[in-house]
Amino acid sequence: MNTIILNGSPKGNSEKCNSQIFAEQFVKDMKNPCEIKCIAQNVPKELAQYVADFDAIILILPLYIHAMPGIVMKFIEELEPATSKGKSIGFIIQAGFIETAQHKYVGRYLENLAERLNYSYLGTVSKGEAAAIYMYPKMFKKVLKLLSELGVAYEKNHAFDDEVVKKLTNPYELSKFKLWLLRLVNKVGLGNIGWHKVLRENDVMDKRLDRPFL
Amino acid sequence: MKTVIIKECGDIKTSDVYTFDLNKKVVKDCIGCWSCWWKTPGRCSFNDLNEFYHRYITADKAIYFVRVTKEFVSGNLKTLFDRMIPLYLPYTVYTSGESMHVPRYEKYPDIEFYYEGKFETHSGRQIFVDYINRVFYQFYSKNIIIKPIGEFIAEGDDNT
Ligand SMILES: Cc1cc2nc3c(=O)[nH]c(=O)nc-3n(C[C@H](O)[C@H](O)[C@H](O)COP(=O)(O)O)c2cc1C
Repeated sequence: MNTIILNGSPKGNSEKCNSQIFAEQFVKDMKNPCEIKCIAQNVPKELAQYVADFDAIILILPLYIHAMPGIVMKFIEELEPATSKGKSIGFIIQAGFIETAQHKYVGRYLENLAERLNYSYLGTVSKGEAAAIYMYPKMFKKVLKLLSELGVAYEKNHAFDDEVVKKLTNPYELSKFKLWLLRLVNKVGLGNIGWHKVLRENDVMDKRLDRPFL
Repeated sequence: MKTVIIKECGDIKTSDVYTFDLNKKVVKDCIGCWSCWWKTPGRCSFNDLNEFYHRYITADKAIYFVRVTKEFVSGNLKTLFDRMIPLYLPYTVYTSGESMHVPRYEKYPDIEFYYEGKFETHSGRQIFVDYINRVFYQFYSKNIIIKPIGEFIAEGDDNT
């Protein structure tokens, strides 16, 4: 079973790239770590031809406007249906917003795409609240460990482990309590502290609400 | 009423309407640098869409003529969606019961979205329509119409 891991982030293999961190964690504890390639650093058509020789593809991507980044769609445009049975494809999506229900639109598309490409569908694993992982990896130790577990189980069973998937996907929706808490945090102004720190550092705090294109 | 057209298919008469032709323009891909939120609020680090942003955000209506690609939007159009992020603020609100960004501008154009292309199944079409609806809902467009291109009626065509 020959698997290729694709990183679909436009940031490619930069150290600021969460998808790259996900990919490296996924293969970290495997006996035979899979190869990782970045879509951003390859020509879509050539990469599509290259991955056709693998038994399985795992595409790790950031959610961009509720779906894949433009560069990933350019790669998908080049994929041809498999001519033989037995190939499989799976997806790992990570995103900024907390609740993973936000991923369901593209999740349904990816499942449908797998079928039309004649690949069996391994599933789509979703992780929310992931935007800051590259900044504070220590705060996300648990998530990183789960990704390695997902990788180990994948190497063994050629499938995503249900238990690990469940933990990563949680929360699917925001509970009433969580909503109350988040609204409260916003109300007292704590929600924007991080943003404002960066804006001040960049000396653009007073420009933050600009409408340059009116 | 100000209108903009974004098109990658269809032979539509667009005489005096600002038209952004995706067949002629390859939109620069978003590189995820966040300059538009952190460094130059509201402005992308690329300049290729400056006129488009102005026309779009000052329009009452945006009409899309889109070619369905692998039962989704093309990579070029998806990149245009990605590049809309500067039109919104980084802050997140939870008023609707889910996470949503805050509008940067007072209003966003209504959307008429016409698509050309086939789907293998009914559910393939539904996935596409649901996705487009979701995008423009999150983009704060109030009225969103999504139809196959055959249902587009050019102004003045009604009584011919
Ligand atoms: C243009 C753009 C669009 C985005 N759209 C979404 C979105 O719709 N939902 C979401 O939860 N996060 C969204 N994000 C946040 C990213 O998914 C998040 O920051 C992710 O961790 C980036 O991964 P990367 O470092 O691998 O590129 C978006 C980010 C960018 C730059």
